[in-house]
Amino acid sequence: MSDFIKREICEGVDFCNIRDDRFKAGRISVNLITPLDRSTAAANALLSWVLTRSCKKYPDITSLSRKLNDLYGAALYPSVLRSGDYQLISITASGLDDRYSMDGESVSSELADLLCSIIFDPKLVDGHFDDEDVEQERRQLLEDIDAEYNDKRLYSIKRCLEIMCRDELYSIGRCGSREDVEALSHGSIVAAWKRLLDNSKVRITMLGSADPDKAFERFSAFFADKPRKFRVSPVVVPEVREVKRIVETDEISQSKLVMGYRCKYPENNRERIASTLMSTVLGGTPTSKLFENVREKQSLCYYCSSMVENKKGLMLISSGVETENIEKTEKAITDQVELLMRGVISDDEFDSAKLALKNAFISVMDNLAAMESFYLNYILSDQTLSPAESVQLLETITKEDVTALASHIKLDTVFSLVGN
Amino acid sequence: MEFEIIKNERLSEEYFTLKHPSGLKILVYPKEGSHSTYAMIGTHFGSINREFIHNGKKITVPDGTAHYLEHKLFESEEGDAFKQYAKTGASANAYTSFDTTCYLFSCSEKFDESLEILFDLIQSPYFTPETVAKEQGIIGQEIKMYDDSPEWRVNMNLLQAMYQEHTINKDIAGTVETIAEINPEILYECYNSYYNLNNMVLSVAGNADPQKVLEVADRKLKMNAPVQTESLFPEEPYSVGKDYVEQILPVAVPLFALGFKENAGKGFATTKELLCTSIIQEAFAGEGSALYRDLLDKKLINSSFYTEYSEGNGYRYLAFQGETRYPSEVSKAIKEAVIKLHETGISAEDFENAKRCVYGRIIRGFDRPSSISAELINGEFTGRDIFEGAELISGITLEDVNTRLASQLDPDNCCLSVIKAITEVT
Repeated sequence: MSDFIKREICEGVDFCNIRDDRFKAGRISVNLITPLDRSTAAANALLSWVLTRSCKKYPDITSLSRKLNDLYGAALYPSVLRSGDYQLISITASGLDDRYSMDGESVSSELADLLCSIIFDPKLVDGHFDDEDVEQERRQLLEDIDAEYNDKRLYSIKRCLEIMCRDELYSIGRCGSREDVEALSHGSIVAAWKRLLDNSKVRITMLGSADPDKAFERFSAFFADKPRKFRVSPVVVPEVREVKRIVETDEISQSKLVMGYRCKYPENNRERIASTLMSTVLGGTPTSKLFENVREKQSLCYYCSSMVENKKGLMLISSGVETENIEKTEKAITDQVELLMRGVISDDEFDSAKLALKNAFISVMDNLAAMESFYLNYILSDQTLSPAESVQLLETITKEDVTALASHIKLDTVFSLVGN
Repeated sequence: MEFEIIKNERLSEEYFTLKHPSGLKILVYPKEGSHSTYAMIGTHFGSINREFIHNGKKITVPDGTAHYLEHKLFESEEGDAFKQYAKTGASANAYTSFDTTCYLFSCSEKFDESLEILFDLIQSPYFTPETVAKEQGIIGQEIKMYDDSPEWRVNMNLLQAMYQEHTINKDIAGTVETIAEINPEILYECYNSYYNLNNMVLSVAGNADPQKVLEVADRKLKMNAPVQTESLFPEEPYSVGKDYVEQILPVAVPLFALGFKENAGKGFATTKELLCTSIIQEAFAGEGSALYRDLLDKKLINSSFYTEYSEGNGYRYLAFQGETRYPSEVSKAIKEAVIKLHETGISAEDFENAKRCVYGRIIRGFDRPSSISAELINGEFTGRDIFEGAELISGITLEDVNTRLASQLDPDNCCLSVIKAITEVT
């Protein structure tokens, strides 16, 4: 039960499944990962939306949505994520487990069919995607990109990363820029479709009670004769020469402070977990250093938390504060980071972070979507760790391991969005 | 002391229920094969409870008191509950909604210890002028964070405009000014009125054993003599207070919320009413609907568009919301479609299509211990059993839905709330 099984369809394409009958839903997804590239990121993103709105069989959003409703409110949606210096495009179909259908139909095989239809057999007119479809999705993607500014917490994080990584692929953003999306020609969408299916690293995942073999056959039929060489480039963490400080102002009641740090790029799974543990000790729980000292002791904020991007070797600390407290908060955060770097970590801080992380790993196994994204973290890796193996590895990590990693932390960028 | 078992064959699910001698209602919902456990304790006390009668005495509290109390209960004389949870590895949290306050944790080991902490937390209030004052800064920042949130503001503004008297028109956390009035006496009065165990419910879902829950309850819960607490709500007229409200915020894409206010009556909506409304929402404005298509084709909405039905003690409304560059056009188009809908009713084809969708959504809801836990508590307060939806859905007819429609979506009783961009020409 809940075993992760990986089968290779051809070089660069694999099919992974977890057969598990504890759930009333199932899900199947096609995940395409490709290096972030200014010239393709926007086209890949727009493509993922165009693909999920229609196909030859269901030629518009109304007919496709009604088909999904008919399949007991199944969902079919794209997601575009930045994963280190890569872009991860996922198209997911999720729906009711076969055992609960009213008329005994197999929702899972219908969803696998549907996923194949929209990805392999889209609605093309003279070899191109329909103009109206592309324009409709382009408008929505532009609004989506614009709306990132609406949430000031996320927007500040985005700005900090843009500034911090301005000379790196990472700054391209998950969907490219607004200008990139605006400039896309219709031909570039169909080119993105062919390129992604031919060249990206592909992982199909299937989770739930249904037999995966039929879906495996279906996807194999398409991909078996399309092997691809996919090279993973080594990650280089840039040296920090001087701390970048950017202050922007806006009409907001609460100012935002985001501090970006460079960390050691974790070389293996053990180091990766140690790095996550390091961030958990610093600002991942309500007893972490940041929560305890910046919020509870000094009442400076409602939230002050840290997160690591292990695929990139960076860490962010984000908080919302009164404008007059920005400096004081930066000082309070810096104090805690310095303590961490010097290895001043109490047993309570360390043990509770470990327990919290352990709980998070174990809880993954009770949620299909969480399981799916947990394993997707390993899409480019040769060694996949299960949540249970992650717990085992976590148990072996010592304070010294965390301190050794923490000693590499370097402040790179301080971004503040200040209320007028 | 025996648990009563509530079974559902269709779902092959069951839960255990018991009224503990301490007064606490206990609900345990085991999920076979689950690795983690989710526990939640709730009281029917939220931001709308500004006035109540406790043991014959009428009490009025400042806006934001329920939420403030939620923050302060985490502290006891022995210290901070978060620190105790940290020793068990449980992930703990709490939230205050319009009509409930809930304290929760999820864990994958040491369940007994975590449950003990949860019981201690709600049984050991400790409010001093100093501890109460300390929270002003933290909650003040929480309030300001929400003040900057366009999604939150568009909804709060809608409620303020629609509801003339009912306290649902108040922000859950109150304002920096109202929370300044909160003191230990006020918190103790609320605590004594609503945190009596007879007014509370515990739900546990996931990797859970009813007997173990009972053992911890026997060990930790103090006997509570029932108290009389009566929540008071002002009479709310049927009509909306205003039909338009706007606020300017730094947004790149404006937001809208179009709310249709309904007669709320005295009690809560029934499961059947809620099912019918879900079908109406899906058939009328879901992604497969003619309206959705029309709004997309006219470039009035994007994929952020959704509908939501909210109801509770003294309020009921259905809202359409999302981002739009053209708030008044989208509102006009929806209202016109509503008028047409009342003339034609939902069609048989749309009804069947939407009903299957709602059925699937209900069944899948039973995969998440967090939502099961919340629904169990909600069910105690509203009188709606958690399995009722799955049982009733197949029997819902087109006639039921069109009858329900007659009391909903009154085009003459709606309000448009808009968050405009700063740069926009008004």
